Amino acid sequence: MTALAPRQDGPGTETVPGPRRRLVGLVVALVVLVVLLVLSVMIGSTAIAPSVVWDALFHSSTGIDRFAIRDFRLPRTIVGLVVGVALGLSGALIQALTRNPLADPGVLGVHAGASFAVTVAVGLLGVRDAQGYMWFAFAGTLIVTLLVLALGSTRQGSSPVVVVLAGVCAGAVLGGAREALQLTNPDAFDAMRYWNAGSIVGRPIEVVWPILPFFAVALILALAVSGPLNALALGDELAVAQGVRLVRTRVLAVIALTLLAGGATAIAGPIGFVGLMVPHVARWIVGPHQRWIFAYSILLAPSLLLVSDILGRVVMRPGEIPVGIVTAFVGAPVLVALVRRKKASGL
Amino acid sequence: MSNTSLTRRGAALAAALMSASLVLTACGSDGDGTGDKTAETRSVKADNGTIEIPVDPQRIVTIGNTNLPFIDLGGEPVGVTEVSASDLDVLPEKQRTAYEAAEIVGSNGGEVDLEKLAGLKPDLILVQFHSNDWDKVGKRLETIAPTLLWGLDTEWKAFADAIAEAGNVADALSRQKAEYEEKVAKIQETYGKIIDGTSFVDVSRGDWNDPGTFYIADIGCSEIARDDVGLDLPEAAEGKDPLAYESLPFEQIGGLSKYDVITYPVDAEGRPAEPFVPVVETNTWKALPAVSSGRALGVFCPGNNSYGPVIRYLDSLDSALATLPAKK
Repeated sequence: MTALAPRQDGPGTETVPGPRRRLVGLVVALVVLVVLLVLSVMIGSTAIAPSVVWDALFHSSTGIDRFAIRDFRLPRTIVGLVVGVALGLSGALIQALTRNPLADPGVLGVHAGASFAVTVAVGLLGVRDAQGYMWFAFAGTLIVTLLVLALGSTRQGSSPVVVVLAGVCAGAVLGGAREALQLTNPDAFDAMRYWNAGSIVGRPIEVVWPILPFFAVALILALAVSGPLNALALGDELAVAQGVRLVRTRVLAVIALTLLAGGATAIAGPIGFVGLMVPHVARWIVGPHQRWIFAYSILLAPSLLLVSDILGRVVMRPGEIPVGIVTAFVGAPVLVALVRRKKASGL
Repeated sequence: MSNTSLTRRGAALAAALMSASLVLTACGSDGDGTGDKTAETRSVKADNGTIEIPVDPQRIVTIGNTNLPFIDLGGEPVGVTEVSASDLDVLPEKQRTAYEAAEIVGSNGGEVDLEKLAGLKPDLILVQFHSNDWDKVGKRLETIAPTLLWGLDTEWKAFADAIAEAGNVADALSRQKAEYEEKVAKIQETYGKIIDGTSFVDVSRGDWNDPGTFYIADIGCSEIARDDVGLDLPEAAEGKDPLAYESLPFEQIGGLSKYDVITYPVDAEGRPAEPFVPVVETNTWKALPAVSSGRALGVFCPGNNSYGPVIRYLDSLDSALATLPAKK
C-alpha cells in the first residue's frame, strides 16, 4: 500500500509520503549510513586488507596497519559521523527558524565567529593544535551568535529577518577583521589555510567527547521545538493562535543550532553546504514535518560528509582533498539535479 | 600678475632649491675615505639584467631571502625585511646582532616600505622574492639604488656565490666553501660503508600542515644529503612537483617501514621539532621497524640557503649517522 498524503502547506497538487513510507525511507537512510561507516573504515589512502581491518577493530593485536585503523580511520569516521549529524540538524533548524530554504548556520555568523576566534588564537596567542583551535572556535561561535541575537532583537521581539541581517552584518565585519589579522600575520594565514577548508583528518577522538554533551542538549532542544517550528512555518499569527510561544521557540532553536553548528565547526572547521543541502533533500522526501526532516537530516548529512571524505581520500592518492571541498563538489551537482527534477520545497 | 611671470618665479625658486640641496648634499659627505671606492662601479649579472653596482658597497639593504645569506657571509646590512621567528631563533648570536642592528624596511612577504628604504640611502639593494612582488616594487627599488634580483628558483650555491660577489664578501664565502667540502668528504669517508646500500627517507611536518598530515622531504637539507653527501633518499620523478609539496595523511606513516633509516627534524637541542611532535607520538610511528631499532635519526636543519646553516646541518647529520651500527 502506498501511503501518500496531501501536502499540508501546498495547494494540494503535491503529495508527500505517508508515515510508513517515511519510516521505510528512514530505515534505508540508516542502512546507507551504516554502509558508509563501514566503507570509511575500510577505504583510505593506504590499501589495507579487510581481514586486517577486522582484526584491528575486534582484537587487541598490534601492527602498523592495525594502529592506522584504530588511531586514524576509526576516529576520523566517528568525527565525520558526529560532525555530519550536527551540521545536518543545525541546517534543518535554521531553515525552519528563518523559513528560508537557502539559510544555513553561516547566516547567523557561526562560521565567521569561529574563524575569527581561531585566527586570534593562532595569530595572537600562538595556538597551533586542533584541540586548541576547538575551544576558541566554539567560544567564538557562541559569543557571535549571542551578539547577533541581541542585535536582531527589537522592542517588538526578534524577527528572523532582522536576526539573519544581523548575522550577515556580523559575518561581514568579522570576516574583514579576520582577513586583516591574517594579512598582518602570514604565519597565522599559513596555519589556517587547511582549517578554513574544513577537514576531519587528524582530529583525534578526544576532540569529540567534550563536545558531545553540548550536542545532546541541542538534540533535546531541537526535539522540543520541532512541533512549534511546524506551526511557525504557517506564519507567526497562526503559530500564536495554535499556542506557540514565539520568542521561547526561537531562542531555544537558536541555542540548539548554535551548539550544533558551533561544535561541528570547532571540530572540523567551516564546512558549508551540508547544512544547506541536506535539509532540502529531507524536506523533498518527507514534506514539511520538522520531526521527520530532523530525523532524515541526522542520517543523510553524515552520509554526505562520509562519502565526500572517502572520495577525498582516494581521488588524489597519495594526498587527500579536505572534506569541506569535496562536499561542495559532490553536493552541488546533486542539489542542482534535484532542483531541476523537482519543484523546490517550500517551508 | 601674469601667468608667465608666475612661471618664471616658480622656475627660479625651484632652481635655487635644487642648488641648495646639492650644496647641502656635498656638505653632508662623511669624508670617511670610501667615497672614491663607492663611486667606482662594476657590472654584475642578476635575474633583472646586468647591473652597475659600487665596487665596494657600504650601505646594503637586503630584501626577502637575501637577508640571512648575506649576514651569514659576515655582511652587515643597513636595512632588512622581517624574517620568521623560527629562523631568528636558530641564528648564531653574532648574526642575530647584525640582523637586529639593521632597520626593518618591510614584512617577510613582498611588502616594502619604500620611503623608509630610501631614507637609509642604500648604495645597493639585494632582493630575492616572488616575481609577483618584484612586479609590484622592482622598478621603484631600482630608482632608489642599484638593485639585484634573484628568483626563488636560484640554486642555493649559485645564490651564495652571487650574494658574495655583489656584497663584496667573497673571502668569507671561500672559507665557508672549503669547510663545507671538507665536511661532506669526511661524512662520505666515515660512513661510506653504512650509506652504501642503505635506503633513507627524510620526513617532516610544518606548522602550516593540516593536523594529521606530514610530508616526505626531498628539497632543502634533504636535497643536500641526497645530491652532495650521497644518501639514497627518495625524490620526485622528473618534471613532477617535489614530494614535499604533497601532504600525506598520518595513515601513510606505515609506508615508511620500507626504508632502512628515517631522518626527521629536531631542534638545536635534539628534541623533535615542535610541528613534528604529533607524528612521533603516534603508535604507527613507534611501531615502524626503523624507529623501534633506533634507526630513526633526528637531524637539525637550521636553513638551506647559504653555507653557514648547511654546515651546521652536516654537523648534525654526522652526529646522527654516528649512531648507526656499522655494517658487517
